[in-house]
Amino acid sequence: MTSLGTPIQGVTLYSFTRAFHGRQYDLDGLIRKVADEGFGPGLEVIGFSSLRGFPDRIDDNFVGQFRDLVAEVDLVPTSLAVNVDTGIRRHRLMNHDELVEYMRKQIEVAAKLGFPIARVQISLTPDAMESLLPVAEKYGVTLALEVHADQHGAHERVLALRDRYEKLNSPLLGFTADWGATVTGFAPSLLEAYRRRGASEELLGQVVDLWNGFHVDGPPNTQKVHGERFGAFIGLAARNGRPDLGIDFAINGTGLFGPAPLDTWLEIMPWVRHVHGKFFGIDETGEEPSVPVRSLVRQLVENGYSGAISSEYEGWHWNNWQDPFDIIRGEQAVQRSAAANAGSAMITDASEARRILNSHLAQPVRG
Amino acid sequence: MIADRIIEQGTLITQDGRTAVEVRIPWYRALPGSSIAGAALTVDGVSAPEGSLRWTMNNRTFSFEELVDETGEWWFPLDSAVLSGDLAVPDSQIEHEVRVDLKLYIPYIITDHGVLHIEEHDTKTMKVAQR
Repeated sequence: MTSLGTPIQGVTLYSFTRAFHGRQYDLDGLIRKVADEGFGPGLEVIGFSSLRGFPDRIDDNFVGQFRDLVAEVDLVPTSLAVNVDTGIRRHRLMNHDELVEYMRKQIEVAAKLGFPIARVQISLTPDAMESLLPVAEKYGVTLALEVHADQHGAHERVLALRDRYEKLNSPLLGFTADWGATVTGFAPSLLEAYRRRGASEELLGQVVDLWNGFHVDGPPNTQKVHGERFGAFIGLAARNGRPDLGIDFAINGTGLFGPAPLDTWLEIMPWVRHVHGKFFGIDETGEEPSVPVRSLVRQLVENGYSGAISSEYEGWHWNNWQDPFDIIRGEQAVQRSAAANAGSAMITDASEARRILNSHLAQPVRG
Repeated sequence: MIADRIIEQGTLITQDGRTAVEVRIPWYRALPGSSIAGAALTVDGVSAPEGSLRWTMNNRTFSFEELVDETGEWWFPLDSAVLSGDLAVPDSQIEHEVRVDLKLYIPYIITDHGVLHIEEHDTKTMKVAQR
């Protein structure tokens, strides 16, 4: 029997994009705020968002300052989110060698800054991941490929990666599970944002009905079905005289609110090295109305997961009327309550988090 | 994504028939010059000629043709770039309607139709500073 997991509480600075972009906090100030609020100990950063000059111009002076700050405020770096910018050149996609070098530079920065994980993205094929394994080994960094809507744990592309991981049998190759793949409703705060843009209740009702139908049907397992769903949102907006909202409905309805069942995560659970606790808001009862946070935490605990969960608030895209720090505080309270209800606890002590994370990443968690 | 912040309030300046405004990235992460695919600068309904537009970031100024191959300079989320073009804005006492349109490629999102691009715009009203 698998012993109960003890997930590590944490946050990604992505949750505070609006405050950072609005120059309310610089990087130093935001990290201090996270520590002061007790949103750690886990700290996740997106390289291209938070680090000026990433990755080519990150010098030793910055590395030293970053490490000193993180040590001073007693946070635990968990994951540096890196990007696979395959389309950085206007006229062609990166070739294989360019891609490996592009990723190598970012993974090297992750190691220098003390992040044990680099979050990579779905555009990396099984062959690309195999090519990057020597890079991961060189720097001692785990590559955790993010499984994000519109993919999910049982998607054919994800299973192909899993099968390659199994063959390569390295603890340095795994997944980041993003909870946005297994959402149970269209986020009410986004409906409120559309309401504020003048969308009628009738139109919003149809949007919810359309999404609920996709939830019943299950996630798209082919790009064709994904495209059809994308088009259905655009058509709905046009039929209701709001074509200006169509792309927005479609991007959010298919790309943020993935309708996969929770048990799809079990397909890849042994390879989950990191979790994005994606969510969109906290309602007046203190719960997340569209992401089943309690069930997701229970599932991780019961499957022995003792890595980090980065709370990832995505509602900032549209919610400019609530404080993201209050919302993170509320979501992490739900996570802690859920872990306790599952007979375990979220780890909030930094020393304990370091010990547990080292153990979690040192070997594959295979049941 | 964060389109309402594209134009920096109060940064419209004009000199010798050229007009400029500071712009912020409407995206959560830095993008290289090569991902900045196009822009338009319009004041009181009059747009600067496309060929006259210039983009300044990190103390370097580019034409949009030059940005195509620019993968070394990046537009960081905290930084203002400057969009400028041939446009006369004579009266410094009245409020002007400034509109900026941006087309950006998102280099890590590859769709069935190629690299994803987004088109965002922002309109703000402000006075112009004569230089």
